[in-house]
Amino acid sequence: MAAVRTSSEIAFNRVAIVAVLVATVIFLAPIYWIASTAFKPRNLATTIPPTVVFQPEISPFVKLFTKRSQLRTPPSPEEYAAAPWWERVVFDGGEKIVRDGKGQVQWSGYPSRFMNSLIIAITSTVLAVGMGTFTAYGFSRFKVKGEADLLFFILSTRMLPPVVVAIPMFLMYRAVGLNDSHVGLIILYTAFNLSFSVWLMKGFMDEIPKEYEEAALVDGYTRMEAFFKIVLPEAATGIAATAVFCFITAWNEYAFALIMTNRRAQTAPPFIPSQVGSGLPDWTVIAAGTFLFLLPVAIFTFLLRNHLLRGMSFGAIRK
Amino acid sequence: MATTMITTLDRSSRAAARGLSDISIRNLFIIPTVLFLIVFNIFPLIYSLGYSFTDFRASTNAPANFVGLQNYRDLLNDPYVWSNFAITAKYVIISVAGQLLVGFGMAMLLNRDIPLKGLLTTLLLLPMMLSMAVVGLFWKLLYDPSWGVINYALGLGNFEWLANPKMALYAVALTDIWMWSPFVMLLSLAGLSAVPKHLYEAAAIDRAGPFYTFFRITLPLVAPILMIAVIFRTMEAFKTFDLAYILTTQPTAELISIRLYKMAFQEWQTGRSCALAYIVLIMVLAITNIYVKYLNKVKER
Amino acid sequence: MRKLVTSVLAGIGLTLACGTSVYAQEKSLTIFWAEWDPANYLQELGNEYEKETGVKITVETTPWSDFQTKAFTEFNAHGDAYDMVVGDSQWLGAGSTGGHYVDLTDFFNKHKVGDVMAPATVKYYAEYPGGSSKYWAIPLEGDAVGWSYRKDWFEDPKEKEAFKAKYGYDLDVPKDFKALRDIAEFFYRPDQKKYGIAIYTDNSYDAMAMGFENALFSYGGELGDYSTYKVDGFINSDKAVAALDAYKELYKFTPPGWAKSFFVEDNQAITENLAAMSMNYFAFFPSLINEASNPNAKNTGFFANPPGPNGDQFAALGGQGISIVSYSQKQDEAIKFLEWFIKDETQKKWAALGGYTCSAAVLKSPEFQNATPYNKAFYETMFKVKDFWAVPEYAELLQQLNQRVYPYMIGGEGTAKETLDALAADWNATFKKYGRGQ
Repeated sequence: MAAVRTSSEIAFNRVAIVAVLVATVIFLAPIYWIASTAFKPRNLATTIPPTVVFQPEISPFVKLFTKRSQLRTPPSPEEYAAAPWWERVVFDGGEKIVRDGKGQVQWSGYPSRFMNSLIIAITSTVLAVGMGTFTAYGFSRFKVKGEADLLFFILSTRMLPPVVVAIPMFLMYRAVGLNDSHVGLIILYTAFNLSFSVWLMKGFMDEIPKEYEEAALVDGYTRMEAFFKIVLPEAATGIAATAVFCFITAWNEYAFALIMTNRRAQTAPPFIPSQVGSGLPDWTVIAAGTFLFLLPVAIFTFLLRNHLLRGMSFGAIRK
Repeated sequence: MATTMITTLDRSSRAAARGLSDISIRNLFIIPTVLFLIVFNIFPLIYSLGYSFTDFRASTNAPANFVGLQNYRDLLNDPYVWSNFAITAKYVIISVAGQLLVGFGMAMLLNRDIPLKGLLTTLLLLPMMLSMAVVGLFWKLLYDPSWGVINYALGLGNFEWLANPKMALYAVALTDIWMWSPFVMLLSLAGLSAVPKHLYEAAAIDRAGPFYTFFRITLPLVAPILMIAVIFRTMEAFKTFDLAYILTTQPTAELISIRLYKMAFQEWQTGRSCALAYIVLIMVLAITNIYVKYLNKVKER
Repeated sequence: MRKLVTSVLAGIGLTLACGTSVYAQEKSLTIFWAEWDPANYLQELGNEYEKETGVKITVETTPWSDFQTKAFTEFNAHGDAYDMVVGDSQWLGAGSTGGHYVDLTDFFNKHKVGDVMAPATVKYYAEYPGGSSKYWAIPLEGDAVGWSYRKDWFEDPKEKEAFKAKYGYDLDVPKDFKALRDIAEFFYRPDQKKYGIAIYTDNSYDAMAMGFENALFSYGGELGDYSTYKVDGFINSDKAVAALDAYKELYKFTPPGWAKSFFVEDNQAITENLAAMSMNYFAFFPSLINEASNPNAKNTGFFANPPGPNGDQFAALGGQGISIVSYSQKQDEAIKFLEWFIKDETQKKWAALGGYTCSAAVLKSPEFQNATPYNKAFYETMFKVKDFWAVPEYAELLQQLNQRVYPYMIGGEGTAKETLDALAADWNATFKKYGRGQ
């Protein structure tokens, strides 16, 4: 701001700082609320006034991972006493844990959906970033006729609304039996992320001085060797940032997953909202599922903080 | 593809003889990606273009009959579809304007020396990284008229956010503003920090008022980057599906993507929904075109 | 390069291996149903089957709001994720003509299922088209809409006195729709955070339609003529208009935010002390009689849908039959499970676990009728049920009903007559499109 500071400017500055702090609190409040609800006993989740101070519990997580059924009559004292602590927690909520024919505790659908999310997001990220890095190098170093049009074409595939693409994909996958399969969703997410990864990586590639490779070429490296030994290590940060962005996009994706998967390959986003409970809603369980699901993204946001701007603007704006 | 290119490799060198030529490397690097995108993004669209001229329904075994432009005619005469477009337009305007105001306002506040500025900025960016579907889900809890925190904090009693048909769209937009204002803030901050300091100093020497400084110096210089934010958000808001689909089922908040989803995957009017998809597609491509033009403009600066 | 390609391929291979090995169980059957307690009871019943035969039964669930969408997405994808589906009665048309369900007519005749199950359940849950003697499902879970109420509020002497003074008759379980309305109005006290009534209003699937049907059928109205597909003069008759007005009137006395409510919200209205009366399917009542989930369990009573002004008394049908998905690779195993399921002792077990058996013998037994405070009301209601259209295009009909009725109910747009005239026109156009009636 201005070099000369008047007292009114200093006062304004203070007000601005307070305003920023208040805004931050307001912006984080919803996230805090969902995180704290994940540790509440069920009866404190929907109180008025809202419960802020409470004894944290992990019962919502026990419920999140197990398949439960409403009890019409409370368990007998012996049954209750014989049960391990995590089962008692469920009894306390008026439910029991469902066991299978061999007496094994049945898992809820959550762990398998979480695993599906991991498998699909990681594999599609590897593919998209891998292919994207090569292509970005190609665009960055060689002259390609109609480069602007090709790049526009590549970007526009990313801008298509998911439902628009999902209708024909649904029919095509039906023909080849890829509906509700990991491979099917991986292909979709790779296609979706590939264009993004090309654009972002091209920005990173453009920043690596051509002279490095040229020096290597003079030293007798082939173009391939120069790419792998000189360019890739230089681009490592960019690749990592791109990968995290692709991972988050695939991790968060909802519409494709809703339409193209049902059970075997279903990911967490369409599954979590479906956990409304069988007789009464249990917001603590929904919050627990949400909390676990948001955690990786929150961590990645911190790791990525210096690259966010670049990622969100498709590599157009650099800091 | 191109046949002309500049090579930095001396063709007679040892390395060139040993490795692949630059043309083959370029083709090897670029063609698979382009092919992949054509097969999985363009081919499906051609496939659905064909279906958009038929009465095909994926839910029956009946063969598709060619109906010409009937689907397009019906859609453009369907008052419900028009109202879905009107709702979408309203939603885009409210949510993008809200994000612009809040995001740019916060950037103006943040654009000074503040202790822990880096941490604060990162924390503020958290909402936009989250899954829209999951955000929609937990905002339902926050909006609840009986025990929602929002009504309690604002002292609104039993105010109905999602149950009131007139309010539902605003509630969805408000959540979107919460999620995406940080994005506008991030871009604005980049724009603000690029404004040369000496311009402000000159303005101060000329005793220019804060309004003059803002409208004559700050805004014009940040405008191109803000434009990027606006176009990008417009495009994304136009496509919104998850957030609105999860938050509410009010007909007054039925965005065009939701209509399309219902037509395709609940009513199974496959041919008709392909036609609607094409109408939406053309609109999105138009906005994308503008967006890319601006991206290149900003890049050149 | 080669290394990278190999590792990527290995990654894909690993994923494929993971994806398939997890589900490649030796012998297992997967049943798809909506997320509610009966699905858990079915899981427990399935456990018995596993003990006896070694075939593992997994019941997969999804919430009611997207049950239909998910099931039909899977059917239309010709997917084999599910071997059997416990589908809504309205699905029979689409399931059978679309080729998604296996024809069970032979099974039905061979095992005389028509004699085992109660007649209403066979008619609504198994047969399509009506009267054709072609069967596509085995009745599994009977259900209908009933009501729960707060006994303590109703029996409070002060309330009784005030009610009598205001309405001129005694406060008691409503004997008709007028009393239902009066009691709802009487208990509607926003200043005390007490409200009159909880009804279904969710328009994402059939919740609101079922709620409206309760009024419609009891007012003597009909959706249309099921044999000629004539709807004009039925769905927009004076009786139907009066029924819609009556249902909309009830919306006035609901708790705040009651614009997307279904079973979860309606149960909550009782547990959270929000409403005096609450509409719900019988199958959702178990959580209301358990003190751990309902603090008012001791003070919660139940009644059947009351009659309308002319004494007609009907209720909207819920409940489902179990069908075999034609894309399943394990149809023979599924048939064996169904053979086991229709045995008398299995049906007894099913009822004991909490399932609403459709077995006529079990339904009539005193053990069943006294098992819970609401089983008797259920038994009585099951003889007075009517259902929605079951034609293959029922989803469009339902969508049209939601599209017309919801803005009137919640947004107050137009009048009941205009709403239902428009709906009749929509339905006529839809039936015409599919060449029905005429």
